[in-house]
Amino acid sequence: MIPHADDALRMLSQRLMTQLLPDLKSLYSLSDGALIGLLINAIADETAEGIQRRLDDIAEMKRIFIAGEALLSSKDKEVTGAELSSYRLTDVNDHHDALTRILVLLHEASENKGFEALNQSIWAYLRRHTQRHKITAVP
Amino acid sequence: MIKAGETGLITTDQVQIAAAEYLGEKWGTSVTVCNVEKIFGGASRETYKLSLEVDGETRGVILRRDPPSSLIDTERHLEYGAYDRIYPTDIPVPEPLFLENSPDFLEQPFSIMAAVENPMSDVAQLSNDQKQKIGQQKYDLLGRLAAKDPLALKFDEIMTVPKVVSTAAEQLAYWQGIINEDEIHPQPIAQAAIRWLAANLPPPAQKISIVHGDYRTGNFLFNDQAQITAILDWEMCHLGDPLEDLAWSLDPLWSGEELALAGRLIPHGQAIQIWCEASGLSCNEQALKWWRIFVSVKAVAIWISSSENFENGEGKDAILAMAGWVMTDRQNRILLDYLAPEVLS
Repeated sequence: MIPHADDALRMLSQRLMTQLLPDLKSLYSLSDGALIGLLINAIADETAEGIQRRLDDIAEMKRIFIAGEALLSSKDKEVTGAELSSYRLTDVNDHHDALTRILVLLHEASENKGFEALNQSIWAYLRRHTQRHKITAVP
Repeated sequence: MIKAGETGLITTDQVQIAAAEYLGEKWGTSVTVCNVEKIFGGASRETYKLSLEVDGETRGVILRRDPPSSLIDTERHLEYGAYDRIYPTDIPVPEPLFLENSPDFLEQPFSIMAAVENPMSDVAQLSNDQKQKIGQQKYDLLGRLAAKDPLALKFDEIMTVPKVVSTAAEQLAYWQGIINEDEIHPQPIAQAAIRWLAANLPPPAQKISIVHGDYRTGNFLFNDQAQITAILDWEMCHLGDPLEDLAWSLDPLWSGEELALAGRLIPHGQAIQIWCEASGLSCNEQALKWWRIFVSVKAVAIWISSSENFENGEGKDAILAMAGWVMTDRQNRILLDYLAPEVLS
């Protein structure tokens, strides 16, 4: 059997919140447990979609870097041109972070040097990025 | 002396024993701790409600113990000092009783305050009339706090007095430093906000005021008559521009789905008007906009800091993870709404 990790986490969270928590006597434990249950739900979503969300970010950032090539140093270009070493979450995160650091610099450069269209495209990316990563499992 | 477990946490039984010994020594009489209840949500300190019997009478106290890690890296003497100085004024706060800096009793420093009777803090179930009544008091009290002279209340003995011309820039530098130090992942939205704030500093503060630092719905108590009975959580108290507290209280994060209502209570315009009348200060639109963006950056810094604590193992409370992840997510979307080019142009 190949376990569906996200579904398993959601079921465990449901069991925690509906069957185990009601038996707790302390209000503190009840509140803490409920928060943990909500977080497990958010982690379930991240387990299912997290890598794809980051890959979508990476693809979009790479398009922005092509548009802003004139503002990138050769060292930056080495990073932006690098390929993902694996699809493990840690590697995807590291690559995503490295590109985001360059995006921050590029964003600042676009402001300082009047690259209006590039600046707008970075803002638009940030909007899509936050929408993509919006946590819906927690009210 | 109480020994905490490997996690640095103690049990309510340990608090019961240590508190009875400590308070008995302080008051010079026998103190029985009848009940200890840990209160959820005190992310910056472990918070316990104790029911006591002292000389045949029952009373309640709140004990706040420094945890190994917290949401806000604050110094307890500043928080206690703020309670101590505000308590004699017309701003309601719990009576501060003892500040214990020694780890001899509970392995961490702690403070003890009188408990407020029949406390309520959740505004969700209130009627519209009750919300109106509490909202008016909330902003009247904040205005009155802003009007106070921090030097007359001797706040200069416990905290730095900034200059009106530089307080905004100093606050920005401080919280920028926290983000740069604690961020686990790069923060492109917060960094864009910081650049905007640095390039658009507000006019000098109208005065240097006592800034509560976390003035929001949830950080005050009220009774069943819809009367605010205590303003809590002064751990981020500092001196600075009074618009900071007003801006923090208006942040959409505290409004839930009711974005038109300040802290889910009264409309923003009404809140600002009450604040102006009570403080005798004006509310420059551009300056308030600067402080509203600033407080969102400050919030991101706090959420990031809690996330860092959770990730590095200093703290394992679920609320640290919740703040570091879920609230950073929400705060980033708030910042985007402020910073989108069509809004700023």
